[in-house]
Amino acid sequence: MLIALSWKNIWRNKKRSLVIIMAITSGLWGGLFLNAVWLGMVESMVETAISRNLAHIQIHQPQFDQDRDIRKHIADGDGIYRSLTAHNSIGAVSARTLINGMASSPASAYGVNIIGVNAQNEANVCDITTNLQEGVFLDSKYRNPAVVGAKLAERLNLNLRSKIILSFQNLQGGINYLACRVVGIYKTNSTQFDEMNLYVNQADLFKNLDTKPIFHEIAVRLNAIDSLDAVKAKIENIVPGQLVETWKEIAPELAYLSDMMDFYAYFFIGIIIAALIFGITNTMLMSVVERFKEIGMLMAIGMHKSKVFIMILAETVFLSLTGGIIGIVISAVTILLTGYTGINLSFIAVSLESFGSAAMLYPYLPLSIYFTLVLLIVIAAVLASLLPAYKAIRLLPAEAIRTN
Amino acid sequence: MALIEIKNLNKIYNTIAVPVHAVKDVNLLIDKGEFTAVVGPSGSGKTTLLNIIGGLDKPTDGQVIIDGRDITKLSDSKMVDYRLKNIGFVFQSYNLIPVLTARENIEFIMLLQGENKQKRDERATELLKAVGLGDRIDTRPAMLSGGQQQRVAVARALASKPSFVLADEPTANLDSASAESLLDMMEELNKKYDMTFIFSTHDSRVMKRARRIITLVDGKIADDKKS
Ligand SMILES: Nc1ncnc2c1ncn2[C@@H]1O[C@H](COP(=O)(O)OP(=O)(O)O)[C@@H](O)[C@H]1O
Ligand SMILES: [Mg+2]
Repeated sequence: MLIALSWKNIWRNKKRSLVIIMAITSGLWGGLFLNAVWLGMVESMVETAISRNLAHIQIHQPQFDQDRDIRKHIADGDGIYRSLTAHNSIGAVSARTLINGMASSPASAYGVNIIGVNAQNEANVCDITTNLQEGVFLDSKYRNPAVVGAKLAERLNLNLRSKIILSFQNLQGGINYLACRVVGIYKTNSTQFDEMNLYVNQADLFKNLDTKPIFHEIAVRLNAIDSLDAVKAKIENIVPGQLVETWKEIAPELAYLSDMMDFYAYFFIGIIIAALIFGITNTMLMSVVERFKEIGMLMAIGMHKSKVFIMILAETVFLSLTGGIIGIVISAVTILLTGYTGINLSFIAVSLESFGSAAMLYPYLPLSIYFTLVLLIVIAAVLASLLPAYKAIRLLPAEAIRTN
Repeated sequence: MALIEIKNLNKIYNTIAVPVHAVKDVNLLIDKGEFTAVVGPSGSGKTTLLNIIGGLDKPTDGQVIIDGRDITKLSDSKMVDYRLKNIGFVFQSYNLIPVLTARENIEFIMLLQGENKQKRDERATELLKAVGLGDRIDTRPAMLSGGQQQRVAVARALASKPSFVLADEPTANLDSASAESLLDMMEELNKKYDMTFIFSTHDSRVMKRARRIITLVDGKIADDKKS
């Protein structure tokens, strides 16, 4: 009945209670939705980078990263590639031949990163093969087909079927030339990536270099992302002496963003709740001050201070939780809905692309945050109730009930 | 033995300006079953005296012995329990919890006493009938007249089965007809349950109903008449 009384008491001044409930609701709604958008954005950046060409795990020759020299390829790359594909628990594998070179067209020349791939394997690991603006991904009747990024095509003034000459260092230290035909133009969310990376069939490179298959990078896409560290350890056992790195190690700035986002989400919500504590305290203080005489009467007829305290505490918790739960429900519905349909940000896509994020944004919030939030709101309510409840129990009944 | 024995009671309010001697050397014996009025002009110390008897205030000096026990020596927390179990209160106003119905208001004090739901229900209904509000059981205070609200307050005061009821100017906010009928009802309950009533008033028509009239002047007992 004390609890029922508390519940009834918060509806005595409907307007005032509704104002604070709406403040809590809208505060949480704004905060949670913004958080979800941030998380969605970071998630999208990570996901975009991983599917563009990062993959989950990469293997290199330990010194390759120093100067990306063509000769620093993975020893017995082909053998390693085969043993990795034999472990079907690992996921999809694509072995890449990476060569720094120059792409020349009649119009201009530009330094590029030549990526020799097996089109089928690359398609299993990354989605570059589906990001084509025009043409096909290397699957062409032309000799030495090449796929260039839209930005590079623009720079070198290339169209489908344009000819380009690739020049690069060979394994002996001399220069090789490879005459290619543009068969596809891709476009990702990163103009920087599109400008620098050019795909060819690795078989064409091997023939041109007159070598057995050599690989500089083996990219692995996992079946289950949460097994990242376990699979890394497994691969390290299969390929001793090679450098095995997860995407978090290769792109630490992305990993940092992704890891920090959870922290920021709580931090931001914490600030909103801290602000709400003041509002709730204020509302409850008004409510207590208005009821001085009634509370004095209750204490006079035999209500202990502890029960008065509990009554005020319960009122505060009910008030806050009502606003909190409405806020959480509205936020969850909004986030689920927009997370399902996506938010089309194409009108600011240009600026988003420089961040490497997709134009479609899918806000999301981990489920755990909602539960933590309910706990946080209860804690906030308890804090907010302390001052009003203290004021109430400090009343002297004889003073409080004196009428005039 | 008297129900209430007051010995050399003094109360001095230490206001910043001048100390106010609100109750002076009061000695009183009140027996069980009395229907007593404390009268006197405004400021004569009626409320102060009733508050001290009811344990809402501590005297500066003196004793209030109820059932052989000096309640002025009780700690604050013990005093709350004492009030809850032994004293029924009716105030001039702010008697009821506005969000609860008449019945719930009466049940509330029994709830504080730890009574079970069934007992609470039965007794609340019985008392509301006894004060003539059998048909307003589930009505909230705002929908009751001032006289009806005071009847609920009296019913609540009786609900805790106290040894006596203290009523500080219970009729001050009522018109004379309602005041008369509230007094009728209190008198009836006094006889029916042999319940001791001590009430204050400065209304001469109300004080005539009492069987004993204690008159205060400047905190002193000026007269003490039994009829
Ligand atoms: N809390 C207080 N502080 C100081 N003076 C008080 C206080 N309460 C009452 N008084 C004074 O004590 C005297 C008696 O007051 P009260 O008991 O209320 O009389 P009554 O109920 O007969 O009107 C008055 O002079 C009043 O001003
Ligand atoms: Mg008075």
